[in-house]
Amino acid sequence: MSDRSGDSVDPLLSICLAGGKQSFSAGDELICEYQIDAIDPTDIQAVEVSVVWYTEGKGEEDMGVHYFERRLPSDAEDGDLRPMRRLRTRLPNSPLSYSGAILTIRWCIRLRVFLRRRGDSVMEYPFTLGAVPLRVPAVA
Amino acid sequence: MARLFRFLEKKRGQRRTGSNLAGSVGEAIFCGTLFLLGVLALTALVAAQVVRYDPQSLAIGVGWWLVFLVLSSFVVIGGVGLIRTTLRVSASAERRGAMARQASELDIVREAAPRPKHYPTVPSYDGLTNSPGVELAYRLPPSATPGWRLLATTLFTLAWNGVACVLAVWTVQGHLARQPDWFLTAFFLPFLAVGVWSIRYLLMQIWLHTGMGLTTVEISDCPLVPGRTYRVAIAQHGHITVKSLELWLVCEEEATYRQGTDIRTEVRRVFEQQLWSHRDFRIEPSEPFQATAPLPIPATAMHSFHAAHNSVNWKLAVRGEVAHWPPFERGFSIVVYPGEATLRVEVSASVARNALRPQLAANGTTTGAKA
Repeated sequence: MSDRSGDSVDPLLSICLAGGKQSFSAGDELICEYQIDAIDPTDIQAVEVSVVWYTEGKGEEDMGVHYFERRLPSDAEDGDLRPMRRLRTRLPNSPLSYSGAILTIRWCIRLRVFLRRRGDSVMEYPFTLGAVPLRVPAVA
Repeated sequence: MARLFRFLEKKRGQRRTGSNLAGSVGEAIFCGTLFLLGVLALTALVAAQVVRYDPQSLAIGVGWWLVFLVLSSFVVIGGVGLIRTTLRVSASAERRGAMARQASELDIVREAAPRPKHYPTVPSYDGLTNSPGVELAYRLPPSATPGWRLLATTLFTLAWNGVACVLAVWTVQGHLARQPDWFLTAFFLPFLAVGVWSIRYLLMQIWLHTGMGLTTVEISDCPLVPGRTYRVAIAQHGHITVKSLELWLVCEEEATYRQGTDIRTEVRRVFEQQLWSHRDFRIEPSEPFQATAPLPIPATAMHSFHAAHNSVNWKLAVRGEVAHWPPFERGFSIVVYPGEATLRVEVSASVARNALRPQLAANGTTTGAKA
């Protein structure tokens, strides 16, 4: 997912969800802030923040993007993409977080920072959408 | 050295043990070369006609036009491959996903068919509501059409037994001429056994799908919402003595994955509930068997989900055991929407207090988890 050279220091990425909430109902507004630190602003090529769901399990991974924002230095004040920025989006009705026998559906906020000459650095903040029981009732 | 260059790489679906960058560069070089080769050769071909016009070579046939088509395919395949590779290298998975979502929102074909817009990944149910029922609102189509299976079985049986006939003639001729080919005889016997088995299986399929009679299932509403109870009506036609007939509500997870060059699908039944059963009765052609039953959808049920490689499918399954017949199961797909109990999350008092704070608190910060 990320390409990093051994001699360079990775940037510090942080994501903070409003109210420390990690479980959301469908239709809830997700508010979070993200920040990049420990890196020179000129080293940042672009920043992408997204709210995505993805599958895990026996099958190949499926992924859906609910929210996506890409920012370039030209979009930021003084060309600095590091300062704290707020993300606000209303969550959809589906797919709900699910943990089944051969399929798991997870939601997360994904922050991806593209670095000049050093690939990218990614951080994920997982959360759950809806309240489908962790284990479905067993086959009778 | 082993880290820099691997002789053997493993490929697990879309994941590889080798460097993604090296793979993408290789793919780009291949596609670029194909594109360049196609463009240069196509230019030379067309230029030759422009400089020295030869109407004879342009006649419809397998001459100039075939070369033109082949070179055009080089350009198209190489060009599309190059664009795809460039897009994959330059754009993140999320950006590609966002672009795909924008494209799907503009899809004219999708606009024509009603889709659950507010419920992404929940499959469309328009195929389930276009056939009105006699007893209840909608008659469900069977989830697996027996016709295709029957056709495939017929083709296999014909092909296999055709070859078996030729082998039989050779083998018997050898034995009659007192010059038996024992290797051919030994090869022919298991071949013949498979042929006999395929004929038996084909006859069983024909018997099952023609003699057993039609099964119809109707439901009172569509789509179904967890926590509510609906009605389901079942009708079984035919001329049969039934030992048992059961109706089940079933949920299955389906996962598709690649194993080497094969594409495999695994289905796991994660929920089943018997809705109705009836034993030891007879069905006459003039009087099909009919019954209705309540259809309760569990309040905490996972909704139907459909993505490219994974799905959660709900269906009504009719299972039967009939005298002198093999047991059968017929499935009828249904669509279950997210229910009230699963859409809403019970929030604890402390979390609710935190959520009401105007400022974003410092808690919940996660660092370091890098992919």
